[in-house]
Amino acid sequence: MNAVGRVLVTLCGIALVWCLVGFCSRDVERMPQVVKGEGALAVAFGDARETISQACVHKADSYFHGGIDMECDHLGGHHHDDNCKDGFHEHDHDEDHDHDGAEHDFFDPWRWINSHVRAPDVHRHLGGGEAVEMMPWFWASVKADPHNIEAWTTTWYIANNMIKDKGLALRVVAEGLEKNPDDPELLICRGRTIYDNGRGEFAAAREAFSAAVASAGRMLQRVGSSDEHILQIRDFAQAYLDEMAKRGARQ
Amino acid sequence: MKLFARQTCALVKLSFIELWRRNDIFALVLLGLALMVPLSMATPFGADGASRYLDEMALLLVWGFSLFIALGAGQRLFPPEFESRTIYPLLAKPISRGRLLVGKYIGAVAASWSALAFFYVLFVASVLVRGGGFPSEMPQAIVLHFAFVALAVAVSLLGSLIVTASANLSLSAIVLVGMFFFGRRLPEYAEGLNPALSWVVKTIYAIAPHAEFFDMRQRLVHGWGAVDGGVFVVVLAYAVVYIAILLSLASFALGRKRL
Repeated sequence: MNAVGRVLVTLCGIALVWCLVGFCSRDVERMPQVVKGEGALAVAFGDARETISQACVHKADSYFHGGIDMECDHLGGHHHDDNCKDGFHEHDHDEDHDHDGAEHDFFDPWRWINSHVRAPDVHRHLGGGEAVEMMPWFWASVKADPHNIEAWTTTWYIANNMIKDKGLALRVVAEGLEKNPDDPELLICRGRTIYDNGRGEFAAAREAFSAAVASAGRMLQRVGSSDEHILQIRDFAQAYLDEMAKRGARQ
Repeated sequence: MKLFARQTCALVKLSFIELWRRNDIFALVLLGLALMVPLSMATPFGADGASRYLDEMALLLVWGFSLFIALGAGQRLFPPEFESRTIYPLLAKPISRGRLLVGKYIGAVAASWSALAFFYVLFVASVLVRGGGFPSEMPQAIVLHFAFVALAVAVSLLGSLIVTASANLSLSAIVLVGMFFFGRRLPEYAEGLNPALSWVVKTIYAIAPHAEFFDMRQRLVHGWGAVDGGVFVVVLAYAVVYIAILLSLASFALGRKRL
């Protein structure tokens, strides 16, 4: 290529870059800003963060079951007060713990090997201080999706009821409320830790439960008064307030 | 026999030198450190004492790195010799194609094993530094991992004689990683498919290399205890038989290859 050719190519390149920059900057201004949340993680992953967050919760669930992938929802959709025992939840397990699929009529040697290599002889649950092993996965879960309230409340449950570290539980709730201001479920969690089954501070707990009732009320006004979940949350917080009022009357 | 041993030793030595001179291992160790050091410093919500996630991440890296090295070692056995035409002086020596294949394979496996041993030394050191003990399942886990590496080298070696380098590395990685994570669930997936696809998935399940058999990470991390001795022997036998089949096919491919 001679000198003229090089100059022409250079000029074409400059013109192309000029056009691209102009076109892109014009379109960037016109583009709707659809990315929710803040930080590089939100920009990079967008809505995929919710899936990543759920995957981390799932991993924490498998840790709870001593490394077994249960493939059923133990942590998600939790109901702390329904079945909670010393461990996470009270639930029945099959005797043989066959998680490798449906029964087969014929002998499958690969399945036989897998069931022996990849399944423990004894099913154990994490309990007490060991439950701290789940915290990194919940931390990753709420980092991936800070608006995953279920992950926040489950993390609080582990800190409060399993590890029995009130300071840790309050730190979790405080961080959760920072990301989700006035969330009624997190306010209830805070109230329960402070109330501590009647052994804690009544005034601060009452404040948290009242804030939860008020927040749930505002949510009901926003989304409609028939939302079962929010109604339950409001009733739950109100039940605590009623209990505290009864205790106060007795004292 | 003595000649075979001497020839094999020479090929093993060559593979060792090649692998360790390439500095791949050190690059991988640095990458592993770059990932693990920040993770080990994390204290989620200020809670100390969690260590299983670190073990799990470290073992995942060891598995990933070992696969990377094994596939590379298998791939580099013959194609560079064909390209640079150094295969001719090699075959001009009194050595058959089959012996060359086995010798080179043993060399690549030995070199990959040395890298894996290095990774496990680092892993055990990291566990001990964090105050953990030497898990009772560790010897079995290491032996099965070594068997997996030998299998991965054989898969890559066969692929290198059939398809191009990039295709071989991609296909081998897809097959092994796919089987590692989803192999045991293939029958479940097959249930929900139409008959033709179901048959394809079941065939893959029957003949693909079951990398997941060698995975004892969960046992190590969660302290499940060692695998039953009989099962352990069956898994090793599976690896030996599978490797023998792959090497036979590779020998057949090399024998038919026009040089």
